[in-house]
Amino acid sequence: MSAEKKDYLLVDENGQGKPDKPWIFRTYAGHTNAKASNELYRKNLSKGQTGLSIAFDLPTQCGYSSDHEVSRPEIGKVGVPINSLEDFRILFDQIPIEEMNTSMTINGTSMWLLSLYVALAEERGVPLEKLNGTTQNDLIKEYLARGTYIYPPKDSMKIIVDMYEYCLHNIPKWNPSNICSYHLQEAGATPVQELSFALATAIAVLDAIKERNCFTADEFEQCVGRISFFVNAGIRFVEEMCKMRAFSEMWEEITTERYNVKTAKYRVFRYGVQVNSLGLTEEQPENNAWRILIEALGVTLSRKARCRALQLPAWNEALSLPRPWDQQWSLRLQQVLAYETDLLEYPDIFEGSKVIEGKVKALKEEAKLEIQKILDMGGALVAIENGYMKSQLVKSQTERLSKINSNELVIVGKNKWTDGIKSPLMTDSDGGIFKVDPKSAEQTLSVLAEAKGRRNAELAKKSLEDLKQAAKEGKNLMPYSIACAKALVTTGEWADALREVYGEYNPPTGVDGQKLFLSDDKVATVRGKVEAFTKAHGHRPKIVVGKPGLDGHSNGAEMIAVSAKHSGFDVIYSGIRLSPEEIVQSAVEENANVIGLSILSGSHKEIAKQLFDELAHYKAKIPVVIGGIIPESDFEELKKMGIREIFTPKDYDLMSIMNKIIDIISVEPALV
Amino acid sequence: MIDSTETLSELVSEALLGEKFPIAKIISKIETENNLEFRESLFREIQSQKPNAKDGLTIGITGTPGAGKSSLLGELCRLFLDFAPDKKMAIVAIDPSSNVSGGSILGDRTRVTLPRRDTRIYFRSQPSQLELGGLNPYTYHVIRFLRKIFDYVFIETVGIGQNEISVSLVSDISFLVMQPLGGDQVQFMKSGIMEVPEAFIINKCDEESLANSSFYMLQSTLEFIKDILSDQSLPPIFKTSVTKRKGIEELLHYILHYSKRKDKNAETMTQLRQWIRNEYGRFGMRIWEKLESKSWNQAVRLSLSGGIHKMDYETEEKKFVSLIQKQVIHDE
Repeated sequence: MSAEKKDYLLVDENGQGKPDKPWIFRTYAGHTNAKASNELYRKNLSKGQTGLSIAFDLPTQCGYSSDHEVSRPEIGKVGVPINSLEDFRILFDQIPIEEMNTSMTINGTSMWLLSLYVALAEERGVPLEKLNGTTQNDLIKEYLARGTYIYPPKDSMKIIVDMYEYCLHNIPKWNPSNICSYHLQEAGATPVQELSFALATAIAVLDAIKERNCFTADEFEQCVGRISFFVNAGIRFVEEMCKMRAFSEMWEEITTERYNVKTAKYRVFRYGVQVNSLGLTEEQPENNAWRILIEALGVTLSRKARCRALQLPAWNEALSLPRPWDQQWSLRLQQVLAYETDLLEYPDIFEGSKVIEGKVKALKEEAKLEIQKILDMGGALVAIENGYMKSQLVKSQTERLSKINSNELVIVGKNKWTDGIKSPLMTDSDGGIFKVDPKSAEQTLSVLAEAKGRRNAELAKKSLEDLKQAAKEGKNLMPYSIACAKALVTTGEWADALREVYGEYNPPTGVDGQKLFLSDDKVATVRGKVEAFTKAHGHRPKIVVGKPGLDGHSNGAEMIAVSAKHSGFDVIYSGIRLSPEEIVQSAVEENANVIGLSILSGSHKEIAKQLFDELAHYKAKIPVVIGGIIPESDFEELKKMGIREIFTPKDYDLMSIMNKIIDIISVEPALV
Repeated sequence: MIDSTETLSELVSEALLGEKFPIAKIISKIETENNLEFRESLFREIQSQKPNAKDGLTIGITGTPGAGKSSLLGELCRLFLDFAPDKKMAIVAIDPSSNVSGGSILGDRTRVTLPRRDTRIYFRSQPSQLELGGLNPYTYHVIRFLRKIFDYVFIETVGIGQNEISVSLVSDISFLVMQPLGGDQVQFMKSGIMEVPEAFIINKCDEESLANSSFYMLQSTLEFIKDILSDQSLPPIFKTSVTKRKGIEELLHYILHYSKRKDKNAETMTQLRQWIRNEYGRFGMRIWEKLESKSWNQAVRLSLSGGIHKMDYETEEKKFVSLIQKQVIHDE
C-alpha cells in the first residue's frame, strides 16, 4: 500500500484497507402472537438480519393485558402481545438472547418489559452483563406524537431514572432509554424541531438522573454514555444528513459543557434510525421503494454521522402491515448498500464541504435558540405539560399538509404525475397486504389464562403489593418489577398497580389556536355550505371527532378537528384512547350532527360495530364517517354497517373532506 | 335532532327522567335563534308535567385559561359519583369561538370521564359565539332548563378580567379558580373582580409551601376589600390539587351542603335587561325603564299573599316585545 492512499481510504495500522463494520440491520417486526413472532424472528435472523427490533401490540404498550375489554380489537395487530413471562419464553424460544442486540419499541411499560427480559435471562442462566440492547422508553415523544403513555410526566421520568440506576449496576450494556425523535418527524417536526426537542428531552433525562444523585462522577459519565437516540431520516436527504451531523456536534457540546463529561467515548452521539414512514404514499406505493433508499443514504453516506443501527420500512407500509416478503426486500436493500457498494471503505466524504458545513451551522444555531426557549420555560417536561411542544408540532404538520394541498410540496404520484399503470406488486392473491388472522388472539388469551391458572396466586398478589408500596415510598422499582415478572404477574396487573399510585395522564391536545393555510376558494365553498346549514337549522353544525381504541396517533384527528373549526363547525374533540361508548355518549349529550372517527390501528371493523351498538342503545341516528388506514377491501363491510363515508391517506385534502361531511349532514332532516 | 314523530311532551317527560338524548335535543332547540315560542311551550310543559320540579343549585366556575378548571371539574365528577349517590349534576362548559370562521373547538369534555351509560352526570359544551362576558346568548335558558332536572348545574367559563361577572350573575355561588402565585392577585385587584365571586379556589396546589404562600397572599388581599364584599365577611378559599387529589373532597362537600340561593327574580330581571341591551340597545333600555316603572310590572312580583311571586322570563320577554312592536308602529 502506498502512503498517499491513506488519505482517502480507511486503512488499519498496517496500511491495509480496512472498511468499517456495517451498522446493525434490523427490521421492526412482531405480530399475531408470541409464537408467530418467534418464527418470524428466526427466519429474519437466518436471512442475515443482525439485530432484533420488537414491535409490541397496543395493549402491551398501553399497559393492558389481552383479556382487558379495551384490548380485544387490538390483540396482535401492530405488534406482538406480551402478557407475562410465559409469552417471553415463547417469543425467544431458540433465540440466544446473550448474542442478540435487542431493541424493544416500548415506552409506558418499558420497565416491565425489561423486567421480563431480565427474568428470562436469569431463568436461562444468562449473566445479565451479557444482555445487549435498548428499551425505547422515551415518554416525551409519547405525550407529543404517539400516545402510548400511561402515567404523568414526572412519574414516568422517575421510572426511567430507576432503570438507568438499575442498568448501570446490573446490565451495563443495556440502553435503558433512547431519546426518540423519530415520531416527532412522523408528527410533522421540522429538522430544527427534531434536533431541539430530542436534545431537550435528553437534557431532561440527564438532569433527572443528576438530581437523584445516585451515581459517582464516573458512573454519571457512563450513564451519559448509555444515552442513545432513535431518529428519523426524511426524503430531503442532504438536509437530513446535515441534521445528523448537527446532532453529533451538539451532543458533543452539551455533554462537555452542561455535564462536564471528560471521557470522549461517552460523548459520542450514538443513534439508530428508522427511515420516514410519513412520506410514504398509498398512491403508487412502489415509488416508496426509491424513497426508502434515498432516505437510507442520508444516514449512511456520511461517516461522521453514520447510524449504529438501521431499520427500513417496507414499500407497502402506507397500505397495511408488511408481509414477510416485503420485509425481506427492505433487508436486502441494506445488504446491497453495505456489502455491494464501496460506502464503508472511505473516511467522511463530506469533510470540508462548504455547503454541508454551512447548512449544519444554520441548523445548529436555530436548534440552540429553540432549546434555550424550552429550558427557559423550565425544560422539556414543562413544555409538554403546558402544551408548547405539541402545538408547535401540530403547526408544522398543518403547514406541511397545506403545502401538499397547494402543490408547493411535490409528492410524486400523489399530487403530481398521478396517472400511471397499476403496480403488478399489488396483484397477488393477498392484494399485496398483510392481515392478522382474527382467530390468532385466542392463542394469546389461552396462554394468558393458563399462566394465571398455573401461577402461585399468593406470590403474584404479594409481589404486586410490594411494587405498589415501593412506588408510594419512591424506591427504585426495578427489583420489584423483576419479582413481579418471576411471579407471572401480567402486563395489565403491573400497569394497574402503578396506575393506582401515579394516576393516568391526560395531556393537552394541541388543537388550540391552530390555523390552517388552506386555499381560499375551497374554504369559501365549505363555509358557504356551513352558513346555509346554520341558517336552515338555527345553529352551527356540530361534529364529534373521536379517536377510539389504543392507537395514539392523534394528528389526523386533530387536523380534522382544526379544519372543522376553520370551516365554521362547532367541534367536540376529547383526545385519544376513548371507548366507542364514550364517543357515543359525547355525541348524544352534545346532540352532534355527525361523528367522525379516526382509526389507524386496523381495528376499524370491530370499533365501528361497538359504536353502532351503542348508538342503537340511545336510539340515536347520528351519521358516522371514518378516516384512517383502511384497506379498500373493508369498505363494503363498513358501509353495510352504516358508515357514511370513508377517508384514507389518499384524501389528504382537508377541505374536500369537510366538503363531503357538510354535504352528508346537510341532507339530514332539520330540527323540528 | 328532534324528529317529527316525537312530541314535545314525550321529550319533556323523558328528559325529566334524566334521559340524555332527549335532554340534548331540547338544549339544541333552546340554542336555536328565535326560540321564544319554543321556550314558552317547553317551560309550560315542564310546569304541567312536574309542577314541583327541582330547582338545582347553580355553580359558576371561572378563571384564566390554564388554571386547571376542567381537570378540577373532572375530579369533582369522579368524587360526586361516590359522595352523592342519589344526586344528579349537569355541566355546561363554554369555550371561545373563532373570530374568523365562527367555529369552535370544545375540548372540556376531555377531563371528565364517566362510567358507561351513566345518567347521573350530564355534560354539555357550548361555544361562546363571540359574546362578551363569557356566556353564550342561550346559556341562561339552558341553565334554567337543566335546573329542573339536575340537583346541581355547573357552568364553566374561561374568564379574563370582566368576564367573571357574567357567570356570577347566573349562579347561586361562583368560584374563581386561580393558580398559585399566578400574578392573578394584582390583576384581579385592579379589575375589581375580587368583589364578585363568592369563593376562591387556588388550584394546582401540588406543593405545600407554594400553596400556603398563595393562600395567605390571597387572604390578605381579600382582607383589604372586605368592607365592600357582599356580606362583609371573608369568602372561603379552597386549596386544591388534582394530581395529588387534595382539597377536592372539601370543595365538593362545601358545594353539596351549600344552602343559600340567590334571588331568582333579581336574576331574571338582570338577564332580561342584558338581553334587551344587546338586542335593542339604548332604545330598548328606554322602553324597559318605562315598563319597569309601571305598576303592573311591580304587581307580578308581589303575590296576593304578600310574598314574592316568581317572575316568568318568557312572559316578561313577550310583554316587552309586544311593547317594542307597539312603540315601533307608533314611531312609524
